[in-house]
Amino acid sequence: MNRVGVSLAAAAAVILTAAGCGGSGSNTGQSSPSAGGGGTVTIGSIHPLTGANAGAGTLMDNAAKMAADDINAAGGIKSLGGAKLKISSGDSQGKPEVGQSEAQRLTQSGAVALVGTYQSDVTQNVASVAERSQVPLVIDVAVDDKILQQGYKYTFRIQPDATGMGTSGADDLADLSAKGGSPVKTVAYIHIQGAFGDSVFQAFKKQAQAKGITVAKEVTYPATNFNDATTQVSEAAAAKPDAILVTGYYPDSLLIAKSVAALKPDIKALYGIADGGFDDDQFPGDIGAAGQGILSANYHYNATSSQVQQLRTKFQQKYGKPMETAAVLSYQAVDVIAAGLDKAKSKDPKKLRDAIAGISVNNPLLAFNGPITFDSKGQNKNATVIVMQIQNGKVEQVFPDNFATTKLVYPAKPGQS
Amino acid sequence: MDQAVTGVETAARGSRRVTRSTLLLTAWVVAGLAVVLALVYALGGKSPALVTQAVVTGVLLGGVYALVSIGLTLIFGVLGIVNFAQGTLLTLSMYLVYALSGWSGMNVYLATLVAIPLLFGLGWLIQTTMLNRLMSAGETEGQLLVTLGLSLLIGNVLLLAFGGQPKSAPAPWNGNLTVLGAVAQVPRVVAFAGAILLVVALTVLLRRTRLGLAIRSVAAQPQGAALVGVNVRAVYALTFGLGAACVGAAGGLVLPFLSLTPSAGEQFTILAFVIVVLGGLGSVTGALVGGLTIGLVQTVGGLYLPGTGALLLVFAVFVLVLFLRPQGLFGSAQ
Repeated sequence: MNRVGVSLAAAAAVILTAAGCGGSGSNTGQSSPSAGGGGTVTIGSIHPLTGANAGAGTLMDNAAKMAADDINAAGGIKSLGGAKLKISSGDSQGKPEVGQSEAQRLTQSGAVALVGTYQSDVTQNVASVAERSQVPLVIDVAVDDKILQQGYKYTFRIQPDATGMGTSGADDLADLSAKGGSPVKTVAYIHIQGAFGDSVFQAFKKQAQAKGITVAKEVTYPATNFNDATTQVSEAAAAKPDAILVTGYYPDSLLIAKSVAALKPDIKALYGIADGGFDDDQFPGDIGAAGQGILSANYHYNATSSQVQQLRTKFQQKYGKPMETAAVLSYQAVDVIAAGLDKAKSKDPKKLRDAIAGISVNNPLLAFNGPITFDSKGQNKNATVIVMQIQNGKVEQVFPDNFATTKLVYPAKPGQS
Repeated sequence: MDQAVTGVETAARGSRRVTRSTLLLTAWVVAGLAVVLALVYALGGKSPALVTQAVVTGVLLGGVYALVSIGLTLIFGVLGIVNFAQGTLLTLSMYLVYALSGWSGMNVYLATLVAIPLLFGLGWLIQTTMLNRLMSAGETEGQLLVTLGLSLLIGNVLLLAFGGQPKSAPAPWNGNLTVLGAVAQVPRVVAFAGAILLVVALTVLLRRTRLGLAIRSVAAQPQGAALVGVNVRAVYALTFGLGAACVGAAGGLVLPFLSLTPSAGEQFTILAFVIVVLGGLGSVTGALVGGLTIGLVQTVGGLYLPGTGALLLVFAVFVLVLFLRPQGLFGSAQ
């Protein structure tokens, strides 16, 4: 027993050390200090390129690179004499401390701006580095409200925050169910534990009350070792709600949708809010027929825009994978920085920050209420969610009408066409 | 020669005694769980249908945990190696089955039957080429580092080859069964049946064959086993191979209901160690009973302590068992 104990302790030490060393070992492309280096401007892109979220992270990194290539091909930054953009990638490994050291490395080696990072806790640390080194960070994906509540001046977010999504998710649920002629009165809410799930849920609950929707049951599940959702779904179904609501990540959403298909609760809608699975283009294939009718309120690329359609086709051809919303956001983030550079007429990060703070980027690639423009905290004022629905094995935009690619089906008991 | 024969007979008698005490212990654990469940039904204040669903889910989940832990308990118990690559080997076998069924259009479960010998070969190779060199040194840190390195290597190779997007493979039989009014997804029931089958097969192998005898003798006393003519290194290699083959079976059986990512197996590593220590090092029955206990604690406990609370409960049970029975439920006192 003792020998085993010693080994386990040694193992723990080894793991910790390995995690600590990872940051310095994963330098990709040693960059020369390019701030003064003639015709190039370096942007640091920090995403999880290894670990559990490597799939999404890699696509986002690719999208950032594609954005830079496109801008360079169109003549670079005009006001800087056609200066070219260069993306320097950093691997956060999904760990806050590694993300932080990568941010330090990139800013010290001359990056004038950062984009990232997919995860809220990593973003939190990267934002603090950005603030200290006075280099603007444009968040592509990171949902936690807290990030922008520190009074940071150098951090901007394009997507809606958790509270925004919970609130507009409640609005959309009330509106679309009323429009479908069968208003939702009670819901059971299944969400992941932690800042993400809690803040979306709290915001939803508050707005739902205002709209006359009661939360009959709140069910939470842990972020780790979640391998079966049957208990959680049966708890939610036991409250006999009109709709079951879900906030979580891709594998969790798949487990939950499968359990809903197995337990067949009598509900009018299975509705995700800010959910990482339901509106993923891969989800309908993985869930099969049981996915028919699942609704999802989330920020999403604007599928009605021909510019976005072209962009996605090009991405698919170049990288062989569909360009998900997260990747579109990374592309958009680099676009925003490029527009900022153009407006600032300077490679100085401080001037770039001021330019981004006052920017207005028209025709965003995402289904938002208007141009991308930031409030005093750095949050995009026009960011919002739209509602998607799985129909015949595809994710379609269904609500509100101006973004609809097809007609909403409601009531939508999952798995029934 | 005579002495060797007597040795075998003594061991056989010993094994019958062990089997009896194993049965007794199993009965105790089952009785304990039954009492707790009866209390939950009677005084828990939850609707019986909900508790039944949690119990059925817990038992099926326990089957999955058992599947993952069985290979580990062999390696940990016999070789004394803290195999940190176990979770990654699980991921590897999942990808192997995924790729096999994708390329050939083979049924996932048939592909699993192909993956099992492949994983056995890999395990055998790992032990003969890498770990056996470190076995004689009498220290465990070296082996642990090798397995940790292997786990990083395999994980990143998988990431490179398949990318990190979650994948899934359909089960040939989908749908649901109704058990006592609770719903059970068919692929999970198949995995549970697979776990039971694996436990029975391994128990027979360990208790009724010469190879099993050799493995048990090496586990008990490697030097003694070597003195009576057992090729200890070969047994080590076979045992690691068996452990890896178990993971091969586990990977194929869990693939239809889990999302496949390069880190899909790692989440099981810590729980598997808990189950192995809880059940007793090297005890296959212990891995099954431990897995079922942890599965039930997680789902039924989850009714009262949602989210991370259920995991907290799992570790509380773990600490309690170690306090009352430091050698684990089915471990032999040393």
